[in-house]
Amino acid sequence: MFEIIKQNKYVITAFVITIIIGGMTFSNVQVPAIPKGIQTVNSTTFNFADYPALTHEQIAIMNYFNELVTGQAYNTWEGWNAENYHWALQYITAFLSYVFAGVTEVNSGYRSSFYENFAHTQILRMNTTIDEYGNASMEYYEWVSIPGFTDYYYPNATHPDADDVYTGGFRGPANIMWTGHYALMMALYERNFHFGTMTEELTHYIKDWNVSITTDRFGHHKDGGLWGTGLIPCEPYVVFAQCNSIPIYTTELYDNLYETHYMESGMWDYGLDFIEENITDEYGLYTNGYFVQKPVGWGPNSELLPQDIPGQAVDHYVGGPSLSSYATAWAMTFLEYTVPEETIPKYPLFIDLYGRELSGDIMYMLGTYKQPSSFGDIMGILGTVFTMVLANQRGDYTTRDRLLNLLGSMLNKVWSPDGRQMYYDGSPFDAFLSPIFSGFSVWSTIPVTVRNLGDPRPAEFWNYPYISNADDDNIWVYQARWDPVKSGFILNIRVDQTAELVFSNFDDTPTAFSQGISMGDLTPTGSDYSLTLQPGSYQLVIMEGS
Amino acid sequence: MTESSDTNTDKMGMDLPKRLRVGDPKSAIITIVFGVVGAGLFMLIYSIPMPYTMVSLIKFGLSPALAIIAVVGAIRGPLAGFLSGYLGLIMYDLVFSLTIVSMTLPALSYGVLGLIVGLAAYDFTKGRSLAKLSLMSAIGLVFTALIAVVFGLFVDNHSVLLELGFILLPLFTVGLPSVILFTPIYARLWQVFSSRISII
Repeated sequence: MFEIIKQNKYVITAFVITIIIGGMTFSNVQVPAIPKGIQTVNSTTFNFADYPALTHEQIAIMNYFNELVTGQAYNTWEGWNAENYHWALQYITAFLSYVFAGVTEVNSGYRSSFYENFAHTQILRMNTTIDEYGNASMEYYEWVSIPGFTDYYYPNATHPDADDVYTGGFRGPANIMWTGHYALMMALYERNFHFGTMTEELTHYIKDWNVSITTDRFGHHKDGGLWGTGLIPCEPYVVFAQCNSIPIYTTELYDNLYETHYMESGMWDYGLDFIEENITDEYGLYTNGYFVQKPVGWGPNSELLPQDIPGQAVDHYVGGPSLSSYATAWAMTFLEYTVPEETIPKYPLFIDLYGRELSGDIMYMLGTYKQPSSFGDIMGILGTVFTMVLANQRGDYTTRDRLLNLLGSMLNKVWSPDGRQMYYDGSPFDAFLSPIFSGFSVWSTIPVTVRNLGDPRPAEFWNYPYISNADDDNIWVYQARWDPVKSGFILNIRVDQTAELVFSNFDDTPTAFSQGISMGDLTPTGSDYSLTLQPGSYQLVIMEGS
Repeated sequence: MTESSDTNTDKMGMDLPKRLRVGDPKSAIITIVFGVVGAGLFMLIYSIPMPYTMVSLIKFGLSPALAIIAVVGAIRGPLAGFLSGYLGLIMYDLVFSLTIVSMTLPALSYGVLGLIVGLAAYDFTKGRSLAKLSLMSAIGLVFTALIAVVFGLFVDNHSVLLELGFILLPLFTVGLPSVILFTPIYARLWQVFSSRISII
């Protein structure tokens, strides 16, 4: 024995050091895939792989966000690392709502207060006002704190007369970046929870946009609306394709939810044509803005290159139109619902022009393809994460995963001590990257896309059985939905501590089956039925009248 | 050992075909088979997600697949080593990402690791020779990293930040310990295996 050790000193030393290094760096391990299976109940076969599912990590990240969102006052941002990014709070609030809307749709049969409270709180956090919260409010961060924004009129920005329209208000008509997102958050809330509590306010914005883009806001029809573009500015003086993609998509969803006909009436037709003709580059890809008014403060001594007004926003460094991968990806993601014939053919070209391969399994997006060695600023990062979402929607999972690997392979996953929460730690680059990348990592990997969410749920959906109450803190719900064709409820769940789930909308006593074998009837509680599960993993089929 | 060490001992005076282990058709076929099998092994092991830890911007972990390239070079010479790295990365990119990156230039840099390691002779039974193998693997990997970065900067026009942060640093902090530690272990295992099944 001693002789063997003596003869292999070097190899044994190398082996021991390998074990030590391996142990010290044993982190960021992939969580195993959730168990699925096939069950036959009463001659009906349920293949769990046929239904959308969440992964363990996706749920852990949503738990992390749940604490950040619902665990503090509506206007505080502890844990978001956003001290230097107050201007971005509305964006991350809105986009996180869209992530959560997708998650909610994956588990459409799990509608306890967990999902609903999160979605509702996000809307309240988006709408913090100066009246109530002073300078620590979304109204202040997003609009009022920016010099001059509250002073604008159109067309004469600073010396209005009776023919000029006031456009300096936080709630519009110009601030489409906030009104659009706010309205979409409400529309998705109504789509997913159907309470009707947001309908009135949502309707106000739809009608107001319609007035802005079809009239002069003095009661007279005007092609292209107030600004003559058929679009609405984000900042009072500039319109963007990406920003307007949000209210366009919201209008689609609104029509679908309330059976109105704003899209059919051509409300956005002028704007959609304007985008294709005036806010695109030589390849037809969307560019970053079109000025409708001279911004106050710009003068002949400006160091910026000449900017035609009205005219396409110029790249002040290299000339030509201002380009942006994140803006293009964002616009293509949301416009796909309305004009797929325009956006889908652009996708391969977009990836070719902006995409760069770092290795076989890692890709990134340039902020602008005019500066191919420019990656390193926020624009490249944003372009990469937004393109992850677009690639997921396009079903281009190879590109999505390669983009995901850029940061996903260079950030630590931080799990909470109880294992319920996880986030990607972006602090080596910028701490604000933690919530950004964590959110986009979920958004780009869930099996429900923005395009999917544009479709409403069928009317009968609200009669399907669902989980109306649960011990949310004790469970991991990977799959929960009613299969209306097979009349069975699919529940793929892990239980950390004994948990009770309450089901509503069952007409008859339901029975839970595991591996096709009955676990017994659910317990009646009033008009509902409850199921108590001990710690463990379950793939259940719940059917009534069995 | 043996055949491996005997063969390697003779290398110094060899001409190029013999040094590349393609001096005769049979030898050439075996060398190519070694390269291709090594490439396949590299691809399979490289596809396994490995744990890692980030300390600030520096990635620490192990990549046992890299040592496959080095050990194939050590066993069967520079051509087999080069093929393992070059074909291995091409196969990995094709199979798992459906792409060939930059006209295979990154794969070329991985091939350099096996090529450099294969230039020297080793006796897998001796600790000193295995230490030399670790050293040559480290040298080979440094060349791999530098060549990859040069290609990235001057051919692909990547930004300096990306090449340094996402290519060079990980190759040093993950790749170097991997080839230094895993290569002698693989070599010793190969020596034990080949002493029982003599195929070359």
